[in-house]
Amino acid sequence: MSALLEIRNVETYYDLIYALRGVSLTIETGRITTILGNNGAGKSTILKTVMGLIDDQPDKGEIHFAGQRIDGRDTEWIMRRGISFVPEGREVFEELSVRENLLLGAYTRRDRRAIQADMEWIFGLFPVLKERTHQWAGTLSGGEQQMLAIGRALMSRPKMLLLDEPSLGLSPLLVKEIFAIIETINAKGVTILLVEQNARMALSVAHEGLILENGRFVLQGSSATLQADKNVQEFYLGMHSEAAVKGYQRWKRKRAWR
Amino acid sequence: MKGPPTTTGRLLAETARAHPARVAMRHKNHGLWQEISWAAYHEAVRCLGAALIDRGIQPGDRVAIIGDNSPEWVFIDMAVQSVGAVSVGIYATNAWEQVQYIVLHCGARLLFVENEEQLDKWLHFRDAAACLEGVVVWDTKGLRQFKDPMVSTLDEWRVAGRRCDKKAPDGFEQRLATGDPAEVAVLIYTSGTTGPPKGAMLTHTNVTWMAEAVARANPIYRDDAVLSFLPLCHIFERLFSVFIHIAHAYTVHFVEKADTVTDNMREVSPTIGYAVPRIWEKYYSAVKIRMADATWFKRTVFNVAIGVGASWATRRMALEPVPVWLRAGYLLAYGAVFRKLKERLGFERMRVAYSGAAPISGEVLHFFQSIGINLIEGYGQTEGTGVTTLSRSDRVKFGSVGKALEGTRLRIAADGEILVASPGVFKGYFDNPAATADALREGWLHTGDVGRLDEDGFLTITDRKKDIIITAGGKNITPQYIENKLKASIYINDAVVIGDRRKFLSALIAIDEDNVVKYAQDHKLQFATYRDLTVHEGVRDLISAEVAAVNTALARVEQIRKFRLIPKKLYEEDGEVTPTMKVKRKYIHQAFEDLIEEMYA
Repeated sequence: MSALLEIRNVETYYDLIYALRGVSLTIETGRITTILGNNGAGKSTILKTVMGLIDDQPDKGEIHFAGQRIDGRDTEWIMRRGISFVPEGREVFEELSVRENLLLGAYTRRDRRAIQADMEWIFGLFPVLKERTHQWAGTLSGGEQQMLAIGRALMSRPKMLLLDEPSLGLSPLLVKEIFAIIETINAKGVTILLVEQNARMALSVAHEGLILENGRFVLQGSSATLQADKNVQEFYLGMHSEAAVKGYQRWKRKRAWR
Repeated sequence: MKGPPTTTGRLLAETARAHPARVAMRHKNHGLWQEISWAAYHEAVRCLGAALIDRGIQPGDRVAIIGDNSPEWVFIDMAVQSVGAVSVGIYATNAWEQVQYIVLHCGARLLFVENEEQLDKWLHFRDAAACLEGVVVWDTKGLRQFKDPMVSTLDEWRVAGRRCDKKAPDGFEQRLATGDPAEVAVLIYTSGTTGPPKGAMLTHTNVTWMAEAVARANPIYRDDAVLSFLPLCHIFERLFSVFIHIAHAYTVHFVEKADTVTDNMREVSPTIGYAVPRIWEKYYSAVKIRMADATWFKRTVFNVAIGVGASWATRRMALEPVPVWLRAGYLLAYGAVFRKLKERLGFERMRVAYSGAAPISGEVLHFFQSIGINLIEGYGQTEGTGVTTLSRSDRVKFGSVGKALEGTRLRIAADGEILVASPGVFKGYFDNPAATADALREGWLHTGDVGRLDEDGFLTITDRKKDIIITAGGKNITPQYIENKLKASIYINDAVVIGDRRKFLSALIAIDEDNVVKYAQDHKLQFATYRDLTVHEGVRDLISAEVAAVNTALARVEQIRKFRLIPKKLYEEDGEVTPTMKVKRKYIHQAFEDLIEEMYA
């Protein structure tokens, strides 16, 4: 196995906010890696920094993808190297049809026949999209829009897929479905970096995970290790290490990463 | 002493009568500073005191308090003392097992708890604590549906107390008037770097005498402002937030939370600072880090200024006269750099700053002196009501912890142990005659510390008697001296020197997260977590260089031959450090035994 994405000592500023305070991460080909953390920890900032979506950032550090340095390049160039990004909140083109949305995902490609084949593959993954091929994307349900956003990202035939909170605002049933599809996509050889607040789901599909707090990783390990960690259980999986003495408990233990 | 010995309760009553409208405390509520006058402070104490009497609390009974620093904590503390009972503070960070130990050991009749979190601790051991007759909560958030016949709220107590006070207004006054200064006011359980905690009994005379003695060493004014953030059950904070406070009528400001200390420091800008060495070290490394990141110009100006400041401070701390040119240079540096810096930190009004409760490294002390912050070190122990020696703010001698307080006698025993006799020396350990007999012999408090006195009466501490290392070669080594040199490195947070009955000295080192992260970032060392840093070869090399630099200033036998980085952060909850951030040597020895054995294998 080899490193597909390598983030080295990255520091990112969001205007005046020091969002990433020294982040290093290596992702090997074929893995599903998840980054967990609370609101404002800097999870999405990592993905946006990789994609070159924040102007003049990263401030420090390097990002390498498939042996090439990609930091400081523009987003389109980065995308052409084989990284696709599914932003938080889907952001499909509401006034375009499902088909047009998917075709836009293939914007960097010229091989028409293969594009058609890929579209069929995506319709296979998400049969509901096929039923709605000509419908405006804006009329789709939240779950369908999420599927479309993932489908659109796959249309560029990426080596790697970055997913920002795919479970956001979806029903538990749909979340399960989406995560099953993420595993399917990974089985096809697409490396996945998944940012999530739904730690339970994320750890159930990921091979390894990292916990991000205040712009810095505080814990790293296989999904099994993280699931067994007392702090992760209490703060991310909502389990209590000790049964509350009076049946309920409103206060939280102080976090201490060991 | 101003007058004959008095009780803390009477002292508070006098101060409240003399300055009813002055601000006694400020605390933050929903982001705004709220004021509490001396009259309001005394009224709150009076109500609670009346309620305590109504509940049958007798002189000498023990009442325990657990919670973070707040006005309520102090109200309860003073109410308990005012009715002649004994107030027992418990660290808010203690686990329920430790809370149980103290409650049972002192046989507390009542337990005052801050909030739900602390209440839950009692629920863990309620069946074992037959001595407790009631539990009182002062912050009831999240407890609306909680009902228990044992539990009441502080508000209910206040209402009941006001009623009792109206019905029998003399009840409280009488208790106050009949209080005996020779009786115990507080039990202070020593955090105990070794063994179970022991409850030091401090009398009213002890603490009221100390309140005056400290002020005689360095003046305290009514306009002074202090920031309360160390744990209140520790003698260091208790002195400034309660005992000296009620004697000198300045204003105590309570921090919102432990992690807002730096913000609150800037808002309040205290005139007297006090903290444990760890806090001063944090400020020190924060300044260093910020300067390393500054522009070339700023850095140069800073370095020149600090150079001038350092030579000025060196002269001053050697008690030598400062030549005029240096004084002029210093004023220039102060105006150009230090004043701004002090403003940024919230230290611009600080007349004097104290470091205590653990030894501070000479480098850190010297740094603060250089930038015009009069940081001075005191020495003492709970058993001597906190302060035994103190540097006078105008005469700070480098490396010494100052001179004995007025009325304090110091003696160095044949084996070097420091012995103390003063009105501040405690009455003994509660329900522990063996330990008391060991600590108090013929009126002299045996401190367990080794040190020497110079001809001018300045005391220098060498080490804890029992920490002194005797190497396999028979050499006596004082680990504290070496550890302090190591801790002066901005990359090293803590160090424990090992070598008792070993062939050579080694050290376990805890890295400073912020500075090492910065180093790693600057030098492109990749890491994800704290643990990664501690095993990174680049970090090891960095610390190795720091250790080597320290070694050059040490005699051969004192040099650290090997070291290991502790692979985790040290937490109080894990039993590795005390609430005042002192490393618990014994625990570290046990917990990282494999690392130690590896070095000697």
